Amino acid sequence: MSALFSLPLFWIAVTVLVFEGAERISRATKRHPLAQPLMIAVPVLMLALHVTHTSYASYIQATDFIVFLLGPAVVGLAVPIWAQRKMIKRLALPLGLALAAGSLTAMISVGGLMWVMGAPHVLITSGLPRATTTAVAMALSEQLGGVPALTIVFVAISGMMGAMVALPMFNRMGLTDHRARGLAMGITAHGFGAARAYEDHPVAGAFASLGMALNAVVSALLAALLVLTGW
Amino acid sequence: MFDALALLLVCQLLGEVIHRLAHVPLPGAILGLLLLLLWLGLVRKERPKLGAVTGWLTAHITILFVPATVGLIDEGSVLTRYGIGIAVATIISSLLTMLVTVAVFRWALRFSSLPDERWEEEL
Repeated sequence: MSALFSLPLFWIAVTVLVFEGAERISRATKRHPLAQPLMIAVPVLMLALHVTHTSYASYIQATDFIVFLLGPAVVGLAVPIWAQRKMIKRLALPLGLALAAGSLTAMISVGGLMWVMGAPHVLITSGLPRATTTAVAMALSEQLGGVPALTIVFVAISGMMGAMVALPMFNRMGLTDHRARGLAMGITAHGFGAARAYEDHPVAGAFASLGMALNAVVSALLAALLVLTGW
Repeated sequence: MFDALALLLVCQLLGEVIHRLAHVPLPGAILGLLLLLLWLGLVRKERPKLGAVTGWLTAHITILFVPATVGLIDEGSVLTRYGIGIAVATIISSLLTMLVTVAVFRWALRFSSLPDERWEEEL
């Protein structure tokens, strides 16, 4: 039996199966934010590891094939950037400045706040890429010496904030420019923000996915600077 | 289907090579993204299949995060100690980031050719 638990196929199959179940629950609850597939699947899989006495190290090794697909997904972010090249050209300056400012604010504020709270270095590092899309955040976290699992917690909270708080806040501020609304949601709340922005207005959605994709590149450049300065 | 997938994989592979050989401190996949952008600019043609493959990956990406997130199983002590701090820091950081992004974008718009809302018809 324990030989079975060391087969990559076993854990890949279990992961896909559990995720499919979580997907169905999510759909049955009409995509309720508290019934996200990730939040349902992860505890179930943790329980499965516990019951089978499997270490996380062997699980992550077994599921390498699933994690591998994150790479092509990141590369594919070039497609939305390319599709919107005309808009990028016309708004180059405001987009560039807003991205630089937004990216820097996201990193410095979360890192600074965690530092003030006395968090250990590895936790501060894990939080830095919080505003980027999950696949990119995981790669940047690893590169900077963080823990991808902890990074995902920051990324998920960022996403929920963007999805729930952004639009009411902008409405209260009297901000009607769908470009600015979408861009801000994409930069701080990646895919969650973009999905909510699309529901609000197609222009906001387009700017949100652009903000998300460009922020992945800008944040990677900022992280590279950190690496070069010896973070 | 496979030509689009091959394009993504080759870009990532070249990105990894550059990352390792030239010690560029960017993840291979991000370098791959930049290479793909370059390729799309150099070889201009309609690419419906590339859009289909990246669209499929994006639509089903959540499952790719599952194995890493299960890693929280080993982070229980960090989460009990700093969980609330993580939430507070992330919430404040999110609000700040949105306000700064909006303020800078709106301010810098005055220097662009599309400063007001007329742009909407042009999309």
